[in-house]
Amino acid sequence: MSAPASHLRQPLVLGNPAYAQITNDVLKPMETLPSKLWWATFAVTASWLAIGLVAIGWQQYEGIGTWGLNKTIGWGFDITNFVFWVGIGHAGTLISAILFLFRQKWRTSINRSAEAMTLFAVICAALFPLIHMGRPWFGALWFIPAPNLRGPLWTNFRSPLIWDFFAISTYFTISAVFWYIGLIPDLATVRDRAKHPIRKAIYSALSLGWSGANKHWVHYETVYMLLAGLSTPLVLSVHTIVSTDFATSVIPGWHTTIFPPYFVAGAIFSGFAMVLTLLLIARKVMNIEHLITIKHLENMCLIITATGMMVGLAYMTEFFIAWYSGSNYEGFTFVNRAFGPMGWSYWIMFSCNVISPQVFWFKKARTNVVVIFVMSIVVNIGMWFERFVIIVTSLHRDYLPSSWAMYSPTWVEFTTLLGTFGLFFSAFLVFTRVLPAIAIAEVKSIKKFAQPKAHTAHGDDHAAGGVPGLAHAPAAPEKGV
Amino acid sequence: MSSHADAPAAPDKYLVGYFVEDDEIVAATKASRQAGLPIYDCYTPFPVHGLEAAQGLPRSWMTYACFLLALTGFLSSMFLQSYTQAIETPMWSGWPLNVGGKPFWPLTAFVPVLFELAVLFAGVGTALTLLAFLRLYPGQKPKFTLPGTTDDRFAIVLDTGASGFDENKAREVFGRHGASEISWVAPNR
Repeated sequence: MSAPASHLRQPLVLGNPAYAQITNDVLKPMETLPSKLWWATFAVTASWLAIGLVAIGWQQYEGIGTWGLNKTIGWGFDITNFVFWVGIGHAGTLISAILFLFRQKWRTSINRSAEAMTLFAVICAALFPLIHMGRPWFGALWFIPAPNLRGPLWTNFRSPLIWDFFAISTYFTISAVFWYIGLIPDLATVRDRAKHPIRKAIYSALSLGWSGANKHWVHYETVYMLLAGLSTPLVLSVHTIVSTDFATSVIPGWHTTIFPPYFVAGAIFSGFAMVLTLLLIARKVMNIEHLITIKHLENMCLIITATGMMVGLAYMTEFFIAWYSGSNYEGFTFVNRAFGPMGWSYWIMFSCNVISPQVFWFKKARTNVVVIFVMSIVVNIGMWFERFVIIVTSLHRDYLPSSWAMYSPTWVEFTTLLGTFGLFFSAFLVFTRVLPAIAIAEVKSIKKFAQPKAHTAHGDDHAAGGVPGLAHAPAAPEKGV
Repeated sequence: MSSHADAPAAPDKYLVGYFVEDDEIVAATKASRQAGLPIYDCYTPFPVHGLEAAQGLPRSWMTYACFLLALTGFLSSMFLQSYTQAIETPMWSGWPLNVGGKPFWPLTAFVPVLFELAVLFAGVGTALTLLAFLRLYPGQKPKFTLPGTTDDRFAIVLDTGASGFDENKAREVFGRHGASEISWVAPNR
């Protein structure tokens, strides 16, 4: 890492606020009543959620015949939405775990909200496999590996759908644990500032008696690093396993070995777009633009461009392999995908995901919040269509022309999708009210990073920790960041 | 956490030095330790790098716990899958099911669930080990009430009952390293 007062590196926290100022800035939204803007936004998203609940209720009552699926197209909006939402979640884990292991200190301002986003996205995702069973009270039980009512018959561990059940439930559990462990010190900060006795009681219980003792920090940081180390392969495995739902089948268009890396790159791509959408609003509404700076946004834009080109490469590789394989069915599926009756969805996907992120090559574009906001929406639309293209265009014209069909989703499917957006945004809005949306302790620990003044007295020291005069213990990773 | 039952003569008070910068507390901790002052613990709003070395704390053993838990998860998963998919004995059987003539014990097909359960056990288990070892649970209270140590102050707490404690020396060391406040604190219970 470079010298602390670098001319090349920008400070991660602007204005070099005092420690107490950081606490105040982050906790202010939690300690004041919600603004009118908050209520207005919440009213909108909660009504989306209500509409979605009505749709789900109707679909449960009437059956999944209310969807536009048919004999040929057995998966439509349900699994498209599932894969879309799981992908959204991946950026949260990438930011909290992978960037942690790579010592990317800029992650500290955004990891908390990105992890929250992961949890809400995985909840939205898990809804779809559940409701697409039609009778989830049976279906959910069949996944649990226990002898069941059909005699001592167990789940089939050779099936990718079972792998998926284990992957998603592990992913949710570990993300929740990682998130909560990260929250404990900040919850203690909230507890110590709380005035109202009920508020104090709630945050006392949640913070588990955390005191900030250094004997605790030593173990705490090790566990935090271990959880990051566990989450990193986990997040790669989750979308890999989701992709095997398709890749282990023999459907042309699904049966490809490129799926695991292609899905993981796409997940990170879409997830970062969603993080940007949320944070651009949050930093404005919560007045934390000096904590989530343009530099953070710029870094995320660069990741979007990089992963966007990875998925672009995957799209083209798929086409090449379809031709190179010499398989008529593969070849037909891909030509049909781009130029068949559903070709419009392919080109929406391609232009949103591959062409439009190229705008971030220009520094003016990736430092302009309006451009970034529009692009984050565009990328999310593109990535939703990617899953739609993979699922629906591969199914709608299969081996037997007499069974070819078209898919037209019904109002139930549209409103269920709307409902998950309602759930996601409502949960996020509530989160910004009741929990510290930025990791206070972590931001304090990087406050001095590349701050010109803070290091003049001991300029030769390690930039990262802000601890002059003491070398890092060789075994200690850069903890707490 | 060490017990203080073996220090009967000491008053039930601890001497605390408060600092406002992270580098001050590291230097003060180092100096206190060199001066032979018994440090009970340091309290900081965020993990201060180098403080564990200054305080002389050993490396955390949580990594070993994590490895053992991952191994437990891996073996449990191996047992679960092997037993349910492939084991058939007269007394004690799973339910081997022929799916399209595929092998009953295909190790590669078990890899995803082997991995997931290893991670699940390791992650949840390590977090619970941490909370149990540090005795953190709902209803637990911090040992001391040290104002500002979860916000913007850094505190060194000296164990007045332990040997080597010398109030004058402590005040001198704290003062030399820029302590903003030196005061006494009683434990919360």
